[in-house]
Amino acid sequence: MAQSLTHGEMTLPADWRDLFALTKPRVMSLVVFTALCGLLAAPVSVSPVLGFASILAIALGAGASGALNQWYEAGLDAKMKRTANRPLPAGRLDPQTALQFGVGLAAFSLFLMLFASNWQATLLLAASILFYVFVYTMWLKPRTPQNIVIGGAAGAFPPLIGWVAATGSVAPLPVLLFLLIFLWTPPHFWALALFVRSDYAAAGIPMMPVVAGERATRRQVLLYAIIMAGAAIAPWPLGYTGALYGWTAAILSALFVLLSLRVGTRQSAEGDLMLPEKRLFAFSIAYLFILFGAVVADRWVLA
Amino acid sequence: MTEEPTKPPFDEAEYRRRQRSRANLMAWLLGALAILFFLITIAKMQIFQ
Repeated sequence: MAQSLTHGEMTLPADWRDLFALTKPRVMSLVVFTALCGLLAAPVSVSPVLGFASILAIALGAGASGALNQWYEAGLDAKMKRTANRPLPAGRLDPQTALQFGVGLAAFSLFLMLFASNWQATLLLAASILFYVFVYTMWLKPRTPQNIVIGGAAGAFPPLIGWVAATGSVAPLPVLLFLLIFLWTPPHFWALALFVRSDYAAAGIPMMPVVAGERATRRQVLLYAIIMAGAAIAPWPLGYTGALYGWTAAILSALFVLLSLRVGTRQSAEGDLMLPEKRLFAFSIAYLFILFGAVVADRWVLA
Repeated sequence: MTEEPTKPPFDEAEYRRRQRSRANLMAWLLGALAILFFLITIAKMQIFQ
């Protein structure tokens, strides 16, 4: 149980660092980067001020989702070693403050998006926040091992929102980028779940390795990696990107599949360090950063 | 939950430090947002001209 925040009769005001930690800054960095790539890959020129404000709105929306997620999961986080030191389970922050912060930040992010860009991007941003909080956090995560698969859609929104903020409409390329993150999420998270399985089991979260077992999870990591590789390369033969992106996607996706093959065809032993899983997890983050960077580089080279 | 957590004595210096640090941050954020909103307005005026 979290320790009390009160000192005598008075309650300490929340430290801003704890409020910042509530927004999951590391997740936000990937969100900001993919959203920025979506915006820069769009075939229109955007005013730097409006582009910056739109990306800021997306970042704040992601931060709000993270805060509301941590508010709802404070009890679960307390049971997991990886998350026990977060502001809420560690007792450094009052749940009411976290809830108000999350809702306020979400509302402000939508207002900023509407002011800086257009209602289409605002609607998409609202949908992504609501999807992450209600569909993923509250509904799917505690109920099904497929939580990551469907919940991955929430994390796939940023490049689409970035593109729509720039153009006001949806096009095939950002939809393919959405699909890429959507299919990337399961192997990325299941690689993590394989080496922190005991943590998820302790918290009672039905992650794939806990419910379906290690062998089934490893098979699915490999399966999703293969489908994801197809989606990653698809923009090139379909003519939405050039060879720069195409070759980058082909080489990195082949590496991704190779690392997944290593994970998918082995079984962990007692005291296993789970190095292939950790390697795949680390590579998957770099993979997404480089691939999205290549989308932008490709567009600017072609331009 | 059966045990009452022990309450440390009220630390007024820590209370004031946190209040000050949050007030400073809010002031900076509000200033930055005022500038951002001004710049957005100017950028939109240029688009619609």
